[in-house]
Amino acid sequence: MTATPDEGLRTGPAAGSGQPVFLSRFRPRGAVWLAAPAVLVLLVVLAYPLGIVVWRSFTDPAPGIENYVWFFQSAVNRTVLQRTFIVAGWVTLVSLVCAYPYAYAMTIVGKNMRLALILCVLVPFWLSGVVRTLAWVILLQDSGVINSILRGLGLSPVKLIRTLPGVIIGMTQVLLPFMILPIYSVMKGIDTRLLQAARSLGAKPWKAFLQIYMPLSLPGVYAGAIIVFILSLGFYITPALLGGPRSILLSSLVQNQVLSLLNWGRGGAMGVVLLIATFVLLALAAPLMRQKHTSSRREA
Amino acid sequence: MKRFARALALTMTCALALPVFAQDKPVAGEIKEGSLKGKTLTFVSYGGIYQDGQVAALKEFVDKSGVTLLNDGPTEIAKLKAQVDAGNVTWDVVDTADLPPYVHCGTLFQKLDFSKLDVSKIPPGQVGECSVPAMNYGVVLMYKNETYKDNPPKNWVDFFDTEKFPGSRAIDGSGDPTGGLIEQAFKAAGGDPKAMTPDDIEKGIQKLRDLGPDTIYWKTGAESQQLAESGEADMIMMWTGRAMTAVKNGAAYTPVWQDWLVVMDQMTIPVGVKDTDAAYALLNAYLGANAQAVLTEKTSYTPINSDAKPKVDDATAAFLTSTPERNAQGYQQNIPFWVKNFDLAAEKWNALLSGN
Repeated sequence: MTATPDEGLRTGPAAGSGQPVFLSRFRPRGAVWLAAPAVLVLLVVLAYPLGIVVWRSFTDPAPGIENYVWFFQSAVNRTVLQRTFIVAGWVTLVSLVCAYPYAYAMTIVGKNMRLALILCVLVPFWLSGVVRTLAWVILLQDSGVINSILRGLGLSPVKLIRTLPGVIIGMTQVLLPFMILPIYSVMKGIDTRLLQAARSLGAKPWKAFLQIYMPLSLPGVYAGAIIVFILSLGFYITPALLGGPRSILLSSLVQNQVLSLLNWGRGGAMGVVLLIATFVLLALAAPLMRQKHTSSRREA
Repeated sequence: MKRFARALALTMTCALALPVFAQDKPVAGEIKEGSLKGKTLTFVSYGGIYQDGQVAALKEFVDKSGVTLLNDGPTEIAKLKAQVDAGNVTWDVVDTADLPPYVHCGTLFQKLDFSKLDVSKIPPGQVGECSVPAMNYGVVLMYKNETYKDNPPKNWVDFFDTEKFPGSRAIDGSGDPTGGLIEQAFKAAGGDPKAMTPDDIEKGIQKLRDLGPDTIYWKTGAESQQLAESGEADMIMMWTGRAMTAVKNGAAYTPVWQDWLVVMDQMTIPVGVKDTDAAYALLNAYLGANAQAVLTEKTSYTPINSDAKPKVDDATAAFLTSTPERNAQGYQQNIPFWVKNFDLAAEKWNALLSGN
């Protein structure tokens, strides 16, 4: 996943093999040990606890698959699981629509303006997600800023808070930097002379954009989309504060089982189901991305 | 001066009480000088102004007994279970919500030895096998003055009557179901809460569901307060502490005291603590009239020692639940029923809260 934006930096006719030339020639055996510290940390803080979660889901309170049977027999769980993926999909889409032009703008404006745009992305990023979510409560609520303005203009107020669109708005704002930054990092590496070349060969501007620029920017789009999608699946505080009962996501149900009902086996099973569902979805999306990616290479 | 007077009163109470009960019978609030020197106790509660108040109430205990008091929190039953399961319990005294000490009595919480505690000043019906109350508070129905002007709701049945009392409702969705509210919902649906069966839980929940999709389930006490202060909902189910703060901050809402739901936090000693006697000493000190008065002055919650004489302002006094009048209006949920049906109620409640 993290390699994708880098690949974007090396795009252009010369990139070909997908490996920088110096690396493909010089590849010492021991290089793999450079990853050892990270692997060690991941083993301790990710693999081990995850193993316990999986183990519990099959053994607590009794050995067997009863926790999974319970999960799929409960209409609440099925609805909320489905809703979690739908919300994550929407958030990814809305983020993409907002982030793509923004990232593009960042590549074409002057130095000072670019700095301002980067700050606009990063400053909210430094604030706590809870603080930002509470700010959205004040903006979106029925007696809030947006509805006061609407009423002041003589328009009828809209229901935003405790609705799915409200949750999507709040989550998109929190996650936007994760979409903008990968796309921008790919876009700034795109050689704009390719566009000039296309134009000089007679392509209309929109065609040059669609056939040359956009395919080259796709690795950034995929990277951003995957990060945003996966982060959305685990969102807890924003849906809890901005949503109503019809916008609760799976993490809230997990929290309930683990912290309030002490059904750790069930909570574990819910986590495992979410994890597997995510893997399956990514596995399904992977060939699609690879194909588009290589075809864009060829066109480039 | 106040503190001196109180200390004097306490000394006198002790002096009077000691010969009568002899040495071994504990007296609430009595602390043995230097008895816990070199020992450490970890007290766990919910943080914020509440735990600060509890620590202030325990200051005398710390000063006199010589114990080192550590604070931790917030209380999470899951964390406690992890400690008990691992056989390494570091929480000595834990403040919990209503039901957990009943649900996990003997498994996570010790059955209390009442020869080591003086519970004689606690209001009747509040001492459990594994718990003593930490304080009392209420859940009240707060209505928006502007919406209901001359025809305000008078009880929970009116809360569930959206035809006679149109408007949006806000309900405590912060965690476990509130048994008392489901009982009131069942009553509004024409049932008799005294004769409730497990099947009736769904009927009560359905009444809540019938309030409609505009119903707000607030997640934190702060959120309920924010709803009142911004006038978001027409009727709000609120904790008295939050209701008081909202009104102090200018929320134009009025409490309905008829059938206010009696709730309490509980004080417990987990299974497997290292020094049980020290934990008992803390509990017994906490139950004292003086400690309870300090707690109320700092937090506005109602003391659970009937001798406590806190000095509070009028706004706080208006929301204290210990007056004879309030005692007569309060509604006590059927604790044994909700303990027995905890899982079922929680399951149905979660279904409601996730829009099903």
